[in-house]
Amino acid sequence: MAARDETVTDEEVAELIVGCARRDRPVFQRLYERTAPRLLGCLIRILRDRALAEDALQDAFVQVWNRAGQFEAGRGSAWGWLIAIARYRAIDLRRSEGRRPAGTGMPLEDIAADEDSVDTSAFGLGERATRMLSHCMGALQPRQRDSIVLAFQGGLSHAEVATEMGEPLGSVKSWIRRGLVALKRCLES
Amino acid sequence: MKRDEPDNLDLLAAEYVLGTLVGAARSRFKRQLGRDPFTSRRVRAWEDRFALLALHLAPVAPRAAVWEGISRRIGDSGRASGWRQLAAVLAVVAVLGFGWTIWEQLRPREPQATAVVATEAGVTLWRVAIAADGESLQVETTNDVSYPGDRSRELWALPADAAPVSLGLMPPSGRVQLALDDRQRAALALAANVAVSDEPAGGSPTGAPTGAVLYVAPLART
Repeated sequence: MAARDETVTDEEVAELIVGCARRDRPVFQRLYERTAPRLLGCLIRILRDRALAEDALQDAFVQVWNRAGQFEAGRGSAWGWLIAIARYRAIDLRRSEGRRPAGTGMPLEDIAADEDSVDTSAFGLGERATRMLSHCMGALQPRQRDSIVLAFQGGLSHAEVATEMGEPLGSVKSWIRRGLVALKRCLES
Repeated sequence: MKRDEPDNLDLLAAEYVLGTLVGAARSRFKRQLGRDPFTSRRVRAWEDRFALLALHLAPVAPRAAVWEGISRRIGDSGRASGWRQLAAVLAVVAVLGFGWTIWEQLRPREPQATAVVATEAGVTLWRVAIAADGESLQVETTNDVSYPGDRSRELWALPADAAPVSLGLMPPSGRVQLALDDRQRAALALAANVAVSDEPAGGSPTGAPTGAVLYVAPLART
């Protein structure tokens, strides 16, 4: 049940969030219509359960409405702000429910394939963010990159990443940590 | 590295955003995040950096019930668009107007005037009230009224400087409503008193009192 794969720019999302801060209900509905399918995609990946993901989506949008006034367009991307609210809600829900991944999730090779299929610059997240993904992620060692992508997209703990990858916990911890250090260095270079 | 060193803090922020920071460490970091603007800026930066990874996942259209739930939960906390706001205001005005009209028609209204018809001993027999709109009289029996079956008790308006005008027959029990015509209304408007006379069954055949005037009662205007 995939939604129409339409790219919504960060600029548009930012304008809609600013409208929500003015308590404009029609703008809030527009924000929902434009962004909810993308967010639900993320939440289903984390919660591995459609109904639960829709619950999380609902909680997230109530928070978006209540916290829209705290969004500062100059301080970061609008998509980043939205995705963070939705992901934290899903991560909290997943851990409070004691949920464990039901399956192995999306195979790693599909994640790489997915990355190729999306024109990352189309979201208008800025040159730096795009460069980070395409260049700095690409520069990581494959296992560092895979473990970071798996953790982020699945909302997983180190132990869960280790289980999914079939690798020792210690190795996963170190891949993620070194991967993050390398990413940081790459971005700041 | 110590926990509060900037590089380490930045990595903690990254692991918080990633989700790999768990349990007590996550709670502790969340508290620090609420207090420290530097920490929250680090977190915000990582949230933006990783956002594209989330946007790579295929979108899934939520079911309609999700928006309905959100809409219900945020209640009336927003303002509607101009037209909807205007429509809402008009609806309220219409409801209030309609309610006022109904209330005007149904609310009990003060009578124009009342008279209490009582015996010399002070026993109240009838209470007479001219309705607020002046269109009718309400007569209520308040005590046992006994008179021969072949007789009637007739009510008269006693206008100053004019002949009495019949208003109708008094009920032997219960209450009656007597409609008033123009002549009766005019007589009542000029009357200071009403009277009750003894008449043959069915009332005075002449249009004027034929029997004894039994009771006279002042009209109290309200």
